[in-house]
Amino acid sequence: MSDATARRRFAPGTTIEDLKAYMGPFVDRLGYKFNTESSFVDDVLASELEILEKTGDVYCPCRVRTGDPKEDVRIICPCISFHRDEFAAIKKCWCGLFILKEVEDGSELFGVIEALSGDVEVPVFRVEDLPPGQVRHVKVGKNDIAVARVGDEFFALSNVCRHAFAPLADGFMDGYHVMCPWHGWRYDVRDGTTDHPDVDVRTYPVTVRDGEVFVTVRIKR
Amino acid sequence: MHKVFVYALSTCPYCRAARAYLDENDVEYDVVEVDKLEGDEYKAAVEEVRRVSGGTAFPVIVIDDESVIVGFNKKRIKEELGL
Ligand code: FES
Repeated sequence: MSDATARRRFAPGTTIEDLKAYMGPFVDRLGYKFNTESSFVDDVLASELEILEKTGDVYCPCRVRTGDPKEDVRIICPCISFHRDEFAAIKKCWCGLFILKEVEDGSELFGVIEALSGDVEVPVFRVEDLPPGQVRHVKVGKNDIAVARVGDEFFALSNVCRHAFAPLADGFMDGYHVMCPWHGWRYDVRDGTTDHPDVDVRTYPVTVRDGEVFVTVRIKR
Repeated sequence: MHKVFVYALSTCPYCRAARAYLDENDVEYDVVEVDKLEGDEYKAAVEEVRRVSGGTAFPVIVIDDESVIVGFNKKRIKEELGL
């Protein structure tokens, strides 16, 4: 299908090395790295260059473009931030170009695992990406989550205030509490409780490993 | 003999791997390379893939008009085709 767009993010003559240099730091922040099988990496990136020639952007080679820009933006490589829970469950992006940093041998992940369900630890950002006393929004699958840092402890709770649905991550931290930016409701980041009865928000388990922050979510199929 | 149909993309390494695996095992199959289609044919194929697989990830392998395998899942291909 030829659907060259006016917008083109990469200069003509872009090479595999250029794509690596662009994508590497990007996926590093998301807890991923290039597959350890370098010939496979080159193979996938060569496919992406072909797609770039045709379309003006680097769409994932194993996903099809639908023509709906909102949907298609979710398959521009690296698409990890749009599919965090799914990819964390299979430890790689769909095609396997990127694998979780903790995976030593990416070739063991070839093939695609289906029907995922259960609890999955999803890397969201690096420890140094969130200073103490701050809170930040992350999207994990269908969940909007506020991750808060108090000293060296990290907490995760729903990002949606139960009063008028303001994004809690736009609020500010006061010790173990996050204050909603709109009307000031206060939530304890440790357990999601507020002063108002029966309107606590849900919390998510958080782990920190090798300088990365992980939030555990449940995938239901 | 099983009826095997593969929806593939010409750019997709897993589509190539899945087809190579079927070839190695002498499995006969029909295939459509969706990204090589144009216009309405392309749109119809994308819709069809979405209907049978629930998504837009490839390859999609349909066996006997019944089982759908998304991705190159060797184990499931083996089981479904009794290889
Ligand atoms: S929306 Fe949060 S306090 Fe009103």
